[in-house]
Amino acid sequence: MADRIRIQEQDFDLAEEYQLLRQTDSAVGAVVTFSGLVRDFEVGAEGADSVVNSIDSLSLQHYPGMTESLLEKIVEQANQRWNLIATTVIHRVGDLAPKDQIVLVGVASQHRADAFEAAQFLMDYLKIHATFWKSVKRNGEQQWIESKVSDQQAAARWDNPDEK
Amino acid sequence: MINVLFFGRLGDFATQVPSTIEASTPAEIRELLAADFPELVRELNQPQVLVSVNKMIVGWDQPLFDGGEVAFLPPVTGG
Repeated sequence: MADRIRIQEQDFDLAEEYQLLRQTDSAVGAVVTFSGLVRDFEVGAEGADSVVNSIDSLSLQHYPGMTESLLEKIVEQANQRWNLIATTVIHRVGDLAPKDQIVLVGVASQHRADAFEAAQFLMDYLKIHATFWKSVKRNGEQQWIESKVSDQQAAARWDNPDEK
Repeated sequence: MINVLFFGRLGDFATQVPSTIEASTPAEIRELLAADFPELVRELNQPQVLVSVNKMIVGWDQPLFDGGEVAFLPPVTGG
């Protein structure tokens, strides 16, 4: 099992991460990567009706030490549920601007279904369990982002391990 | 003494809170803060707020030991 979990201020290179996953093992038959970017707007807890107008920048805080161990646990759960060869989770922290990359999840497996499902699971669980907090600046004013009900719902679909 | 951390929006209400507090449970920390920081405690009372001790999510009545680290965690918003 080759798992890479990184929390870092610097950007990441999607092509490089893809190559690392691809080269892990000759049994790799599928690689799925997801990258999340900073939008220039944020949607509030109530959904599309509560769009926060265009933002100047976004800042990500996390709880060092705890975030890493939570991400390790999420990756461990993914390994238990699916047949995975390698997993990469990179999450950036600090100050980011619209269009910047925030998060990368990459999964390598023998067959595509495992990689597709595990990548979705990893993102859904990261969203509701990993100790990151976003704030945005607009017109010079800082505002914490509210958690979304839709993220809770997205993660809840994985609650029963028998229903993959 | 217990090291106390506040994350996310909770930090905005806790800028004047001392970084170490003498207490035997996270719930007691919340009680001790009530008089001086009513706005913060109103936030801490939100049911979605979680508490961790030494980086593990625990209940509010978890016993604390000298040198321990308590963190108050609002709903996370990463990804």
